[in-house]
Amino acid sequence: MSRKKCEQGPHPRREPRFSQPLSLENLREVFSDCVDFMERTVYLNGDKERVVTVCYLLGMTRNERLSDYILRPLSQDPALSRVPEGELFSLLQYGALYNLAALRRDALDDVVNDLILGSCALFFQGRTDALTFPIPTEEKRGVGEPENEPALKGSRESFVESIRTNTAMIRRHLKAPQLKIREHIVGRQSRTQVDVLYLEDMADPATVALVEKRLSEIDIDGLEAAGNLEEYLTDTAKSPFPLIAYSQRPDRLCQGLLEGRVALFADGIPLGWMVPGTIDQFFKTGQDRAYHWMVASALSLVRYFCALITLLLPGLYIALVTFHPEAIPPKLALSIVAAKQEVPFSTIFEVLTMLLAFEVIQEAGLRLPGPIGATVSILGGLVVGNAAVEAHIVSPAVLIAVAIAGIAGYTQPSQDFGNALRLWRFLLAILASVGGLFGLSLGCAGLIYHLAGLESFGVPYLAPFTTGAGRSRGHPSLFRLPLPAMKWRDGAVNTKNRRNQR
Amino acid sequence: MRGILAVILAGSLLLTGCSGLPTSREMGDMALLRTMGVDSASGAVEVTGSTGPRARGLQAEGEPALVLSAQGESLSAACLAMQGLSDNYVFFGYVDQLLLGEGLAKSGVMPVLDYFARDTELGLGAQLWLVKDSTAGNAVESGGEEGIEGRLATLQTDGKLGVAAISRTVGEVYTDLMELGSAFVPAVVCGEGDDTSLMEAGYGVLKDGSLLGYLEGEDARGLEILKSRAPAEVLTLELREGQVSAGVISASTVPTILLREEEPVGLELKCLVEVELTEYSRPLSKETREECTAFLEEKLLRRLESTLDRLQGWKADCVGLGIQAALFRPEMWNRAEDTWADWFSRLEPEIHVKVTVHE
Repeated sequence: MSRKKCEQGPHPRREPRFSQPLSLENLREVFSDCVDFMERTVYLNGDKERVVTVCYLLGMTRNERLSDYILRPLSQDPALSRVPEGELFSLLQYGALYNLAALRRDALDDVVNDLILGSCALFFQGRTDALTFPIPTEEKRGVGEPENEPALKGSRESFVESIRTNTAMIRRHLKAPQLKIREHIVGRQSRTQVDVLYLEDMADPATVALVEKRLSEIDIDGLEAAGNLEEYLTDTAKSPFPLIAYSQRPDRLCQGLLEGRVALFADGIPLGWMVPGTIDQFFKTGQDRAYHWMVASALSLVRYFCALITLLLPGLYIALVTFHPEAIPPKLALSIVAAKQEVPFSTIFEVLTMLLAFEVIQEAGLRLPGPIGATVSILGGLVVGNAAVEAHIVSPAVLIAVAIAGIAGYTQPSQDFGNALRLWRFLLAILASVGGLFGLSLGCAGLIYHLAGLESFGVPYLAPFTTGAGRSRGHPSLFRLPLPAMKWRDGAVNTKNRRNQR
Repeated sequence: MRGILAVILAGSLLLTGCSGLPTSREMGDMALLRTMGVDSASGAVEVTGSTGPRARGLQAEGEPALVLSAQGESLSAACLAMQGLSDNYVFFGYVDQLLLGEGLAKSGVMPVLDYFARDTELGLGAQLWLVKDSTAGNAVESGGEEGIEGRLATLQTDGKLGVAAISRTVGEVYTDLMELGSAFVPAVVCGEGDDTSLMEAGYGVLKDGSLLGYLEGEDARGLEILKSRAPAEVLTLELREGQVSAGVISASTVPTILLREEEPVGLELKCLVEVELTEYSRPLSKETREECTAFLEEKLLRRLESTLDRLQGWKADCVGLGIQAALFRPEMWNRAEDTWADWFSRLEPEIHVKVTVHE
């Protein structure tokens, strides 16, 4: 519905953005009041009759390459003054200048785009076309370690902000020519490159087409944050659960491509997305295939268990302590009674307040620089928590329940999925406050209903757990089989080629 | 938006159709009763409850057990009356030990067991004990500041481990009374003088909900063998080669009903008992071993005959010998089930005991 509204909106995207004829004057008009727009007039081999104007954006081009491989040949190559004027243009395009690419442009819009992407443009007197040479600056952050997905046993490289570096990393991992990389431009003002990657003989063509269709429909001012892409690509924005998985690690993204998924990169964002996003993706880590299968399986089960703990523990505590105390083991009940006797607040208030306090401390720790953030966490978590317990403001059992729920949430490999669980944790705690286990069960049923209704690029979100009858399963998702036994790609992703090994 | 409204409306309707949401109550305001004693008191019911040792605050400072006692015309009325005796809400959900006074047991225990089966807080998982020669109230109060919950829990655990009497839950006794018509319940007796701790006192036998009598000593051990449970005892034997001690490590009893012209005429019991010598000076010779075996078989035979004789006299097959034997002769059981108590009292017992001695 929202996509249709966008198409009919009051400010449709204008293509081309600059419809004037290509000329140096019009280019100057486009970049008027742009202090970084530079022009340099050059006499070809010193011939004042043959003048060319070199335009570029300062900072977007690499100065050495511009000077050595463009300006020096233009001013010193004798052939440029000897060749007939009619062939001069072709000579520059096909050999006189030492650059990997030379593009002939006859539309102002294209030249403007090329300049913004780091090209220089050559204008000749009396011609209605121009040559552009991509010489973008290579100033970028070096490939570092993936901070959000640390690797103990595996590749230590992480995506960077440069989209071409990222695609090169993927190409180095997957050397098959079937790896296709298609580019789209997203953002009226940002003109961000967004690349779609897929393995041609594995990925579902319908998913690729759908991704590209949705990318082409994005009509926004700028793509500056991951959400700018995620929220426009997903089927619905009404769910806190992530419908697209992402990773900082090239090896993990490559694994996604090998499973038949489609990957996405956006220039300036150091991560890659994988679609369709199914729930099992958010419980997997890049290390799952590095560890022994038994260890990996045990850790996978722990992560699923922790998801339940972080989601249900506060609500379960409220329900049991407030509504169904008979379900608590006697010795634990006696401890809770003893600790609760001098606390002035109700259990419901205690739990909800502590959940809120936990979020506040976490948020404060994230917003501050590293060392200060750690101090805030220690002060908030240990000192204030301990003082609150000793002052009988909260009971230790509540503090333990909330802390366990919070820590269990940190086991989730996907921050987005963990955040969704945090939101639902509040909702379930409130429902448990209203109706005890009845309310909690109602909330759980609502959560399952909600998840069962989600789709990611035509694939049920709960796949492969809820893969319908007749749809082939790949391999178990709760735990990992030995790799030689994992011979099939998951059927839910609609991969063209399901067998992945002999 | 319409969908959200529909969900809210459906939720409201659902809640309207239910009996309402559960009521919340803070645990800090609760007195958790762990032990409950029930007695009959001149046309009324007297309930005595104990919380066991309590703790307070972060350091869990010890507080004495809270003992409450109230009377009412019915058990529920007495329980309700207890609420007014405490500063806290008296919560019965943690009652896992139930004591019944001898007076109440003689007049009938079914109303109490019914109440435990139906009440939302109480449950059939509570352990059941009979208080011999006294009231349950006295037994509960005998625990003093420490309460008797710990002592009963120890007896219960020992019973499960086989070093004390067989422990029974309210549910087990309730089921036996309804299915077999009789049941046995472990009995305790209050200590005398300075030692007021509860002691084992065999088993009380209930029939049709009322106490018939107690099986103590040898009879109680016989009931345990009939129940295929090794009694917690050490037998001392004077043999030709000296004195030896033996402990029973396992017992198994298989009952069979003997028929004549399709009519039950006898009850055959095949008891296999294994004993292990615990104290002896040297390995037994073949002759001494045979002497030991014969001695034990004779002793256990007398014991079983005595126990069975008492049960037959009461017409109470509280061990369920008939229903076990019926597994092999279901057609006979169909005919005899309704009048099994009478059949049981008339059947001629034929007991075979085989003892195996291990060193």
